[in-house]
Amino acid sequence: MTKLITRRWLIGGTLMMTMSMMLASAPAFAQSPVRVSSKIDTEGSLLGNMIIEVLRANGIATENKLQLGTTKIVRAAIIAGEIDIYPEYTGNGAFFFSDEKNPAWKNAAAGYALVKKLDAEKNHLEWLTPAPADNTWAIAVRKDVAQKNHLRSLADLAKWLAAGGKFKLAASAEFIERSDALPAFEKAYGFKLSDSQLLTLAGGDTTVTIKAAAQQTSGVNAAMAYGTDGALAALGLVVLDDPKGIQPVYAPAPLVREATLAQYPRIKGLLNPVFRTLDGPTLRELNGKIAVDGEDAGRVAHDYLKAKGFIK
Amino acid sequence: MAWVKNRVLLVLVGAGAAAAAGLPFLTHAPNRLVLGTGISLAATIASSAEAARAWALATIAAPALLLAASVFVRPGRAAHLGVIVCATVLLTGFVSLAGIHAAQLASIANELAPKANPDIARTSFGGAFWIVAVLSWLTASDAIARLGLKPVSRLLATAAVVAPVLICLAAGWLDQLSLLKEYAHRADAFSTALRQHAEIVVASVVPSLVIGVPLGIASTRDNRWMNALRTPLFAGLNVVQTIPSIALFALLLAPLALLAAHVPMLGRLGIKGVGLAPAVIALTLYALLPIVRSTAAGIRQVPRPVVDAATGMGMSPRQVFWKVEAPLAFPVFAAGLRVATVQTIGMAVVAALIGAGGLGAIVFQGLLGGALDLVLLGVLPVVAMALVVDAVLATLASSIGVR
Repeated sequence: MTKLITRRWLIGGTLMMTMSMMLASAPAFAQSPVRVSSKIDTEGSLLGNMIIEVLRANGIATENKLQLGTTKIVRAAIIAGEIDIYPEYTGNGAFFFSDEKNPAWKNAAAGYALVKKLDAEKNHLEWLTPAPADNTWAIAVRKDVAQKNHLRSLADLAKWLAAGGKFKLAASAEFIERSDALPAFEKAYGFKLSDSQLLTLAGGDTTVTIKAAAQQTSGVNAAMAYGTDGALAALGLVVLDDPKGIQPVYAPAPLVREATLAQYPRIKGLLNPVFRTLDGPTLRELNGKIAVDGEDAGRVAHDYLKAKGFIK
Repeated sequence: MAWVKNRVLLVLVGAGAAAAAGLPFLTHAPNRLVLGTGISLAATIASSAEAARAWALATIAAPALLLAASVFVRPGRAAHLGVIVCATVLLTGFVSLAGIHAAQLASIANELAPKANPDIARTSFGGAFWIVAVLSWLTASDAIARLGLKPVSRLLATAAVVAPVLICLAAGWLDQLSLLKEYAHRADAFSTALRQHAEIVVASVVPSLVIGVPLGIASTRDNRWMNALRTPLFAGLNVVQTIPSIALFALLLAPLALLAAHVPMLGRLGIKGVGLAPAVIALTLYALLPIVRSTAAGIRQVPRPVVDAATGMGMSPRQVFWKVEAPLAFPVFAAGLRVATVQTIGMAVVAALIGAGGLGAIVFQGLLGGALDLVLLGVLPVVAMALVVDAVLATLASSIGVR
């Protein structure tokens, strides 16, 4: 009885192996669709949908793989060739290539040139034109506090704190402790936040910190935020400028596999003009429509592209 | 307390009344990110239009009073049926009143500020709603259980309790509620996520059955191999079960990516570092323990004399297995299958973090974007799926049971 089962399994198994080998060795189709992906956040879905809309409107077949996962997952996927294009931030090159100390990352043009060179050499990935926006770490204060005390930049904040201003910041533990985050701001602008002026949260979710400031939970009147967060304007917060340029510049740009670009060279010409129009206020407004108003990211992307004349 | 004939009902009705009085029925927020201000049930009814107020009195006040009265009625077939009907009407009334009031708030906002986008404000369910809804469901389930129906009839009765709510949903009465607005903005993504979730669950449970059932049967056999391997096998499965799911997904990412890089054929078959493969492998491993254990337990609880009698009657080992052991072991096995499936449906939510899609994608979008109703949009279908699958499997198990 046992022998019969073994023989049947051997035959069945061999048949399955042969069939799958035949299927697997089928020639790769000539014009495979472009697999567009994105990270699992609001801006990722906005930019990813824009890429899909622009490519589709110009006759390039796309496959929707948006909201795939965190940076690590999406980056691993493109390097493994499982996706073809996704919007990435130039500043992240510091972490991909373990080069955090390099001051080039603090400059938009230098950072972009550096990450473009490194990725082309090491991973055969091409960075297309970045958007003139900076989605970096920032400190945002309540609009009423900023207006009353004339706070426009972090330098103004330092002066106001020295004069005894009432300030409480909601931020993630990572932002408070990382030497290139809050400590870097404090050192550059000459202020120091005491423990009573900080509310430490576990995760890096800026929506939570922004909500805390908007609702003045536990006396919070400032929040850790990202430069292009959509919830800022809607919840009455303003970002304080960083004139000394402490943080690396995180400009969003399409990152595409060289093989895909070779197959569809038009992608470059189609996406570059679109990304060039996406400055900070524009991204903030569009992100706000998705995050605060709850509109569909695809709809917001479509309406914007149509209004600007990139698609019919 | 001799005049209290139904203590369970007393507790449920008491808790429901306390919640309805003390907690908000609905919450209204200016946008989907900020916390809303609560609106109590009394305030909702008071500020409703004439027709809505009459509807609320008929579908909420009347059944509530009848349920309270049923506490003092001796439990009998008629009393149980009455309780089921009242609980169903109460549940439907709560849900429909929420929908009607949300529509009313939306139309007021539209009148007051026609140029602003009225779609932004959000009306969500409050604490009182959830508690009373769950308690009505429990009341109805308790009464159905007390009726002592056959398994299929019990399933149909349970479906009849939720049917009116589903009709409200389909008729569009609930469309102005925050949950439905979130759905409306991503209907396609939701259907895709639902389909992917079902695919992940099936792709995990089927292999775990294929591997687990033979393994469970083999582990009950008394031979040199199994006697040596039995303890390590169950110890191994126990250890796998204790690994947190997200950790196991993360642990599988690297080896699978390495494998896919060196064996390109696997990549073309779909086994890659991210996506479905690590999720399905991990979920299969998690489902193995309940299935192997329940198969083994089921076979081991078959009385030895029955097997001896069958052998004595001249049945071959194969006939003994299929005609005696399997049918007797089936109920225990079915219980294990229920556990494994419900567990997989819940765990598949985390699979979205590694790119496998499914309803978890919607949950995490909501968590990362701070929109709690989006989280609900992902979680409620998972809960509903688990409840439906559990009920169907339980009915199947009872129906197929040993005659």
